[in-house]
Amino acid sequence: MSGLELAATALTLRYGSEQVLDIRALVAAPGSLTVLSGASGSGKSSLLYLLAGLGRPTTGSVAWGGSDLSTLSESKRDRWRRQHAGFIFQDFHLIDEMTPLDNVLLPAWFGRVSAATLRARSLSLLEELAVPLERRQAGLLSRGEQQRVAIARALLANPDVIFADEPTASLDRAAGSQVIAVLTRLAAEGRTVIAASHDPDLRAVASAELVLDHGRMVTS
Amino acid sequence: MNPLPLVFAMHRRNRFSSALFLIIIALAVALGITISAQERALRQGSARAADRFDLVVAAPGSANDILFSVVYLQPTAVELLDPAVFADLLAQPEAEFVAPIGFGDNIEGDPVVGTIAAFVDHLSGGLAEGRLFAAHEEAVVGALSPYALGEELAVGHGEVDADAAADAIDAEEHDHDERDHEHEHGAEGHANLTVVGRMQPTGTPWDRAIIVPIEYNWEAHGLDLGHKPGDERIGPPFAAEHLPGVPAVVVKPADVAAAYGLRGAYGSERSTAFFPAEILATLYDVLGEVTRIMSGLTLVAQVLVVAAILAGIVAILDLMRRRFAVLRALGAGPGFIFLTVWLYVAVLIVAGAATGLGLGWGLAAGLSAAIATQTGVAMQANIGSTEILGLFAFGVAALLLATIPALLIYRRPVIEGLR
Repeated sequence: MSGLELAATALTLRYGSEQVLDIRALVAAPGSLTVLSGASGSGKSSLLYLLAGLGRPTTGSVAWGGSDLSTLSESKRDRWRRQHAGFIFQDFHLIDEMTPLDNVLLPAWFGRVSAATLRARSLSLLEELAVPLERRQAGLLSRGEQQRVAIARALLANPDVIFADEPTASLDRAAGSQVIAVLTRLAAEGRTVIAASHDPDLRAVASAELVLDHGRMVTS
Repeated sequence: MNPLPLVFAMHRRNRFSSALFLIIIALAVALGITISAQERALRQGSARAADRFDLVVAAPGSANDILFSVVYLQPTAVELLDPAVFADLLAQPEAEFVAPIGFGDNIEGDPVVGTIAAFVDHLSGGLAEGRLFAAHEEAVVGALSPYALGEELAVGHGEVDADAAADAIDAEEHDHDERDHEHEHGAEGHANLTVVGRMQPTGTPWDRAIIVPIEYNWEAHGLDLGHKPGDERIGPPFAAEHLPGVPAVVVKPADVAAAYGLRGAYGSERSTAFFPAEILATLYDVLGEVTRIMSGLTLVAQVLVVAAILAGIVAILDLMRRRFAVLRALGAGPGFIFLTVWLYVAVLIVAGAATGLGLGWGLAAGLSAAIATQTGVAMQANIGSTEILGLFAFGVAALLLATIPALLIYRRPVIEGLR
């Protein structure tokens, strides 16, 4: 598995007159686990979303493997995420009424590869992440299990880059440790992992930590 | 791209509101279907019922009242046709038959109608069983009459005083003091009738009637019997000088020209003549106008229902904005979100409309059955092209309106939704 190299430069984000982000340079190599940390409101989630191409920076560029997301149209950025990125959220954002397997297959519904083709891979991911398959509804799983389903969903398209927004914040320590172990492994496999988190356990295993304060990087 | 699993999951999540929306749409659609299908059933049933009443001649008065009395056997006050006009009609060579219609009696609520055997045969298109009446106290019953062949019936003469037609005949009776018959009137019943035949179903209130020779009817009301004294024959030829007045006469003209000729000849100061179909056409115009107004109101109600439901759906979808933002983060394009939201609404509309179609048909069928039971006019509510086209127009309009919530949701900024 080879990740993509991130090179973000002169990145700013403004909402009206409010300056939300001002990042001079940010790099992340394939195989690294980079943690964006900082107090609430410091801008770490906003930075993560910009890096994922969910929005456009006011100025600057976000280049992944040489492809600048800030110059791409919305549909091309959507396609880039489908092909290259996986997303993990603090609150998992599973569809509770669906089975764990169908949740993992969710990206297949709007992708080019059919769910039938990806079914075997989904089952394999769920087995690998020790998610019980007998539960009919994802909403009935424990929180740790739900986050592992969300990780399996993020991995369905075998992405180069993993974005994680506070992936352990809703979990107890034991479940959080399992998630950290998975993220570490994903980075070790060569993927580029970017996580916004204030979890000291995750920060401790990160290959790089970028601390933000009021939208500016204070240490790296 | 396949948003259906997500669409159905969203409906499962919001099952109560989805069910409520579906029911409201179904009721709005059913209302429109019922009005339209019922109006047509009423129109077809009433037209079919009047089919065999070619030309009706009666005393000057309301053609509507006469129509309701003769065809639908509804109690209305009608004047009696002058015996001279009746005699004149009987002499018309252009008429295949001239059938006097007399009513005013009943047996346990079922009307006893006096006429001639030829009209019974014409109305029924041949009997289902038995034979036509051949004597004063023989009767042929309608297809739905509970009385069996050979059964003897006691007529409660004049029991139904609400039957204003009887009043008209009773008034006539007082003008016949010179009659040489003795009659017994009263709830205890007139002389016995014997059922000798049963008609085929006609889809008219005549299906529940007991049809007797007109002479029986005249005799029961103390009128001249249409024949010379002592002549016990029934039916034509009648003796002109012994004819009493009759509430109405049904004429079967020999051909179309004769029909128009007779209608013209008897549309005079002394009588009124009309084709039931033309009276019905006027009534249908009024009915059609009412239906158009009701259909218009129903359409407005349907549009309001859809608008209210869309407003509710927008509120529900707003609560799910994070879910859509997550889908975008996972790589779903705005087109997928648009399609998901549109299908979410479309499923409700299509399911509601389909349920409404069935419900509307059921309601119209039930209503038709109830009206048929009450009036005796057979009618069957069917879903026709009018309802299908109306439903199609409703569906298209609703599906177009469904793009509004889809447009509102799909362009929403992803980052805003994720916060």
